[in-house]
Amino acid sequence: MAQSALTIDGLSVDFEGFKAVNGVTMTVDDGELRVLLGANGAGKTTLMDLISGKTKSTDGRVYLHDTDITNWEEHKIARAGIGRKFQIPSVFKELTVRRNLEVASCKKPGVFANLRFGFGTDAERNVDEVLELIGLTEEQDRIAAYLSHGQTQWLELGLLITQNPKIILLDEPTAGMTQAETHKTSEIVNNLKGRHTIIVVEHDMAFVREIAERITVLHLGQVLAEGNVEQIENNPKVREAYLGSKGIS
Amino acid sequence: MLEVLFIGLSLGSILLLVALGLAITYGAMGVINMAHGEMVMVGAYVTVLSGIWLGTNIFVAIPLAFIVTALLGLLIERVVVRRLYGRLLDTLLATWGIAILIQQAVRLEFGLSFLGIHLQGLGPGLQNVAVPPFLQGTFSILGADINRYRTFIILVTAILALVTWFIIYRTSMGTQVRAIIRNPRMAAACGIDVTRINALTFAFGSGLAGVAGVMMSGFKTVFPDMGTSMVVDGFLVVVMGGVGSLLGSVLSAGILGEINGLVAAATNDILARAVVFGVVIAIIVLKPKGLFALKGR
Amino acid sequence: MPMKRKIDWAIYAAFVVLVMLLPLVMDAFWLNRVAKYLVYGMLGVAVALSWGYAGILNLGQGLFFGAGAYMLAMSLKLASTTSLQQGSDKPVPDFMLWNAEPGAPTELCCINKASFLWLPFQSQWFGVAMGLILPVLLATILGTIVFRKRISGVFVSIITLALVLLVRLVVIDSQPVTNGFNGLTDLGWFNVAGLEFDPYIVPTYYLVAVSLSLVLVGTRLLIDTRSGLILQAVRDDQNRARYLGFDVPAYQTFFFAVSAAIAGFAGMLYVIVSEFASPTFMDLTFSITMVVWAAVGGRASILGACIGAILINTISATVSETEGFAEAWKAIIGLIFVLVVLYLPRGLAGLAHDFIDRLLARKPTASPQALPVSETSSQLAE
Repeated sequence: MAQSALTIDGLSVDFEGFKAVNGVTMTVDDGELRVLLGANGAGKTTLMDLISGKTKSTDGRVYLHDTDITNWEEHKIARAGIGRKFQIPSVFKELTVRRNLEVASCKKPGVFANLRFGFGTDAERNVDEVLELIGLTEEQDRIAAYLSHGQTQWLELGLLITQNPKIILLDEPTAGMTQAETHKTSEIVNNLKGRHTIIVVEHDMAFVREIAERITVLHLGQVLAEGNVEQIENNPKVREAYLGSKGIS
Repeated sequence: MLEVLFIGLSLGSILLLVALGLAITYGAMGVINMAHGEMVMVGAYVTVLSGIWLGTNIFVAIPLAFIVTALLGLLIERVVVRRLYGRLLDTLLATWGIAILIQQAVRLEFGLSFLGIHLQGLGPGLQNVAVPPFLQGTFSILGADINRYRTFIILVTAILALVTWFIIYRTSMGTQVRAIIRNPRMAAACGIDVTRINALTFAFGSGLAGVAGVMMSGFKTVFPDMGTSMVVDGFLVVVMGGVGSLLGSVLSAGILGEINGLVAAATNDILARAVVFGVVIAIIVLKPKGLFALKGR
Repeated sequence: MPMKRKIDWAIYAAFVVLVMLLPLVMDAFWLNRVAKYLVYGMLGVAVALSWGYAGILNLGQGLFFGAGAYMLAMSLKLASTTSLQQGSDKPVPDFMLWNAEPGAPTELCCINKASFLWLPFQSQWFGVAMGLILPVLLATILGTIVFRKRISGVFVSIITLALVLLVRLVVIDSQPVTNGFNGLTDLGWFNVAGLEFDPYIVPTYYLVAVSLSLVLVGTRLLIDTRSGLILQAVRDDQNRARYLGFDVPAYQTFFFAVSAAIAGFAGMLYVIVSEFASPTFMDLTFSITMVVWAAVGGRASILGACIGAILINTISATVSETEGFAEAWKAIIGLIFVLVVLYLPRGLAGLAHDFIDRLLARKPTASPQALPVSETSSQLAE
């Protein structure tokens, strides 16, 4: 059994009486790819917000390996080794694709540490590799604002890969993508397996089948079930709660 | 003490007079209209000109100024502001340019001064407006001397605020405006003619500024630059009250007016204004959304 | 890219050379004027850095300019030979003498309650140091509070605007120490090791020209660093930068403070060439006018904003020579500004960039004229 990368223990958040996440406990192993499934309002994105520090929890703890990172500031959590991709793709719109990745390749958080020129040959080579991986080598001198929706999503993935965190949180990485784009995204994600611990929120079952190992199903802010694709698809509780309301397509 | 409080109320009502139009254009449309002060100035000049050329008094000037500035507002919306929706800071910059243009238009008498033609009441000089006799002087309540004209301003401001409230919250056009405040795209999707409503809203906000100008002309000297400082005060009121909240603007105008009045009574006018700025900064830092912000969005 | 970079630096070099050669063709009167416009150019640099690169539209840049100006002006006031206690080694500003209470000691320490604040300014270099320290200090305090609280966009603009107006009123109200509305006039000359910088001599022009060149190149190099790149990333998407692990408020505060330092430096130079400091430096109009210069020149171009400022002021000065045309010119400026915001959001620098792109014309890379304008207020919708 691998060592656990992320441990979540009884995590809750209370929005003026509404518990969007309510006592979630789960463990994600090192190098694992975990999919979070659940209907709208099940608390998937909120859970990511809690892990990455965007929302402060009201109860419970989050551990990255052995470090308690509960309610740290966002940039400190990021430095500790958790990278996050947003549901609405966010990249640095007025910078070129390459410049975007160079930003992500700066390893030091502070302003004075970065008062120097250039990024070093290692970093530049790494950027080249990432460009190759996300398939944007041709587009590297384009301003990010002109990329297509799919390319923007891949660039944001590229930012995360360059940042090289231990854990990558992906919030609906295929939202709004065509089938071909979705397929390419799954290739990128599969390529990251093993190198990073990955947690994905996703609705698209085709995509989930392409990438998933283990799935955690959330329902009304709580963990409903956990298992592999087959187990989840045949789990009566899941069928009742999830398929009943929306259905897995 | 009563006199000090009354002066504070009066200062607050003047703030509100200017802020009311801004509360609408900024709150509803996301336009920082730096030319709003120039609308006030134009309203004041309408009073001056109608007095000189038509021989009418301040009461006739009120509807006249409303119409003139509303039309001017409509023009500005059509030509410039319309292209800048969603670019908040750019509206600030572009309307600053418009503000200069309007000021210079008045100062140069629409360019006629180059031809040697002089229109009485325009130009770079100072103008004064005579107030009807029954609005002059003071009357006395509970031993306090109360200025008649200031009382008149408070009344007019209250009426304008009520009219605005009524239009926004009790008419179908107001409902459409509020829908646009909450979500312009959704409003458009629901069949609201956003372009038309925006134009009318901007014209209405500008018209309010024109009426404010009429009121100002009764107790301030009228000159081309008079609007510049007003627009800032107006914005501070709106931002402090909470963007999009009419009640917020009313209350924050009252609060700032009273602070201004009290501090001025204790020290001097300059420090009082400085304190007002300080209070506004503190409130924006502590509550960036303002004291009475809309929930949601 | 490297080619474009070379052209970029070549333009910087050409600008510096041009500025350095001007004394060959201009008389002392015009040199003094141009020196003032170069100072305005430096303000353009400060605005472009904070607005174009940090995404912070500071509508109170005049605060930092004024702070720098007043600090040096206090020292130069004490160095003035004409308006002080003649024949005394204990200088006292004339306005303090005029307004002194009967029987008050005519010494700087105690002529009025706050006059002791002037004591250290008897050293000119104290004034110079404070001219940089005060703006940086103010900007750091303001930035730390505002950016840690994640206030952004128009709210920062309004706070800076209210602050400059507040300080202006305090300066006006503190008549005994600041001479209120009148400001500090009748100043002595800046003096370095015996060389007196009379505003109408060529060395003074060079003091300004060299300073501007250094600031230009220094700022340009600064934004070429990793921090400069990360700053632009912060401008484009604060949250994304935060989740990549960057300490966002630190970046904003640092560059805000650098911009303030440049404005403060400009304020000091202005005092040297124009021999006065006045509360009008902190007028709303002046602070917004700086933004106008930067917008016309190009908000996202250090050199563009600088040239914008110099160009507008030079044209103004030339045009205003014609009797009666000065007011019309103001109207034209207003019109130009509206047109620039509507049709040329990247300013003259944007035009120049497109032109260079076309010259290089390898391939028309995705029509650059449609580049979305940095919309710092987009966070409003959150």
